[in-house]
Amino acid sequence: MSERTGTTVFDRLRADARDANVLCRTELRARLRHIWGEPRQLVANAFMLLLFGVGLPLLLVAPALSYGGRLASGPVPAGQSGAVVTAVVAVGLYLGGAGGFNQNRTGSVGSLVRTSIPPRAVALGRLVSETAQASVLVVPPWVVLLCLVAVGAANPLPALLLGLATLPVLVASLLVGRVLGDVIRFASRTVGISLWAKALAFFVVTTVFYVGSQVLIESRIGDSGEIGSFSLPPLLPGEPLQAYAVAVLDPLGAGGQPLGLLVGLVILASIPVTLAVALRVEAGLVTFESSGSNDDSDLASGTRNVPRPFTATPSARVAWRYLLRTRRDPRMLAHLSPMLFGAMAMGASFITDPESLLVVGPGALVVGGTTLAGAAFCLNPLGDDSDQLPLLLTSTRSVGMLLRGRALAGAIPGLVLAVGIGTPLAVYQHGVLAATGQTLLAVVLAMSSAGTALGIGALVPKFERREYMNVERSHPSTIAVMGFFFGGLIVGAVGLVLVFATLDWTSPQLVAIGWAVYLVVVVVPPVLGYLYAVRKFDALTLDDV
Amino acid sequence: MAAPSSALVASGLTKRYGDTTAIESLDLDVDRGVVYGFLGPNGAGKTTTMRILTGLIDPTEGEARVAGTPSSNRRELVDRIGLLPEEPPLYDELTGREQLQFAADLRDRPWEDVSERALGYCDALDLIEDLDRRIEGYSTGMRQKTAFVQATQHDPDVVFLDEPTSGLDPRAAKTLRELVVDLAAEDTTVFLSTHILPVVEEIADVVGVLHGGRLVAEGPPSDLIADAGGGDGSDGAGAAETDTDTEAHADLEDAFLALTSEPETAWQS
Repeated sequence: MSERTGTTVFDRLRADARDANVLCRTELRARLRHIWGEPRQLVANAFMLLLFGVGLPLLLVAPALSYGGRLASGPVPAGQSGAVVTAVVAVGLYLGGAGGFNQNRTGSVGSLVRTSIPPRAVALGRLVSETAQASVLVVPPWVVLLCLVAVGAANPLPALLLGLATLPVLVASLLVGRVLGDVIRFASRTVGISLWAKALAFFVVTTVFYVGSQVLIESRIGDSGEIGSFSLPPLLPGEPLQAYAVAVLDPLGAGGQPLGLLVGLVILASIPVTLAVALRVEAGLVTFESSGSNDDSDLASGTRNVPRPFTATPSARVAWRYLLRTRRDPRMLAHLSPMLFGAMAMGASFITDPESLLVVGPGALVVGGTTLAGAAFCLNPLGDDSDQLPLLLTSTRSVGMLLRGRALAGAIPGLVLAVGIGTPLAVYQHGVLAATGQTLLAVVLAMSSAGTALGIGALVPKFERREYMNVERSHPSTIAVMGFFFGGLIVGAVGLVLVFATLDWTSPQLVAIGWAVYLVVVVVPPVLGYLYAVRKFDALTLDDV
Repeated sequence: MAAPSSALVASGLTKRYGDTTAIESLDLDVDRGVVYGFLGPNGAGKTTTMRILTGLIDPTEGEARVAGTPSSNRRELVDRIGLLPEEPPLYDELTGREQLQFAADLRDRPWEDVSERALGYCDALDLIEDLDRRIEGYSTGMRQKTAFVQATQHDPDVVFLDEPTSGLDPRAAKTLRELVVDLAAEDTTVFLSTHILPVVEEIADVVGVLHGGRLVAEGPPSDLIADAGGGDGSDGAGAAETDTDTEAHADLEDAFLALTSEPETAWQS
């Protein structure tokens, strides 16, 4: 720790910067070593880099070239320029917000860091380190897109000006997002309500924000159908950001306005202000110990005996305890967040088109419920219990009992969604016959989903703890989760199509072939997956972890 | 070959991690119903040995049998053993009672069969009133007590305890030592790994000292003390009065230090 006594404010700031630099370099070095030392991490990061550095720009080649052409050929397109700046703001807010909300990555050396370096230096070091890590995903596509704009314009100047325009916006929005993330984290740690209430509050706020923004955008630009011309003036802060873009691109002849210059000044001024606020808040959070995550009444909740239906077998009793643990700590399901965001997207479309709720709703519940059946507890079956492995491996003759318990635990909420809610809706909308077919499909798919998830979880188990959605535990592999969700969506949708094609009865031979293939798909992988998981985990040793 | 009364036999156990040898050619033969104190400096290979004996890892060479069952046969082994690892494997979201019931379920043992024994231990360890509280709110000592009950409630043939008194207050530590002695009296073999030498001296019938992955000494504590020149060995193992006998503590410590000392390096001499 640097010497700070008997010095000026400037000297202390310099000492903080030195300590922050040490922490930042250490965190970045540790992160790099972690990636290099773990082949799966290496592949996953390379994939992300390709996805963002190549995949994203590829999607935007045509618009970027066209935009470059328009920048070079005439007056600056205010609407498109504003949209570009708005997109940068959105990216910055998201990355900053996520960084501010998830701040436990000091890991096992956290206490050492907190007692060795002044809180402000810790906050600064981590802010820079996390921003550097986030920039790995942002900078490559940004540079590639600017190059495409330059190619479209046949002149590097527009791209350079655009880069100049978006850089301070990105930095400012990163910092604003960071402060917002900090505030949410602080509130989450101090408010003395149950974890479920927090999860519900998070869900409601996110849904309102997401659905609200979708509805707003659709109400403003949906009717014209001219997404290409994308006129943003009605949308705040579209107009100020357009004015800002036009002002910065003024050398190209667009004609700057006072509003644009003012916005530019506000953006520049906000950088040191938000940086100071972020450092102040995060420095406080470094030494802040929460007392409100759980109140005593939660901890003294009393023993719950296994209820009657679950007493039948050891697996059922195990399933009950997974459900009980989840009821007490919903963070066990943090890895399902992407599913939640998918549900939000669907919720937004239901709000803008309420009639689709009954048409698509029952099927969506089948897909969602059956995916949940596997995703809830089966995507990282023993990795999720990594801290308890010495107990589990020295207590059970075969982990099969545990795995069946997990499958049952997931199937229950899944079937409540798919059958408990989906079937009555289907009866109302499609009739008894369709509802019966859909219900049978849901039951088969729930079992299939669980077995398949167990196989995937055994294939890519994750035993190391990491943070995701501000929850530190052994989360399932992200690729496995996303793959499972998309796979579940496709398999569920195909099953629903087959149900309705069967009821339609126009081409029975085709439907019969379809069912034969489909049954192979929904029966063979889960059976093999379950058997593989049992075989692999029965042979698991702590050397494998 | 081991006598029929052996509860735990290991021959030629070796475990290597790359170029590092954690334990080498370890032979053990522990009788039924004894408390075996397993000592060694940090990194000597104690935890590795316990993990092999409980089937949690495989040896690179050699084999071990616990209660007549090969340690590699985890399916059969789990019925014979109980394990209290250094970090108590508990679920924060469950209450202490639910955790113990869960552990019974894992072994497919009805709670009714084990509850009397489990609750008896909980009562002795002063845990009974907290059994219906969530483990998340437990202190380190309460977690340790719960994990001890979890490891012993099903009446195993061999119990492996890794630092069982860690985090316990003196009263609870004393109770736990008494429970360990009771276990041995019931013909359960207790394989006890700890750095707290007075505990070993008080309750262990036999002590094995591991150093650099090798067993460098084995025998009753009194013999080890005598070999170290600390006495004639007549007042050693199992004597309750050693609680207040600081000289005996020093003797066992001397024996341990003598057995595990490194050759003097140039800068020390």
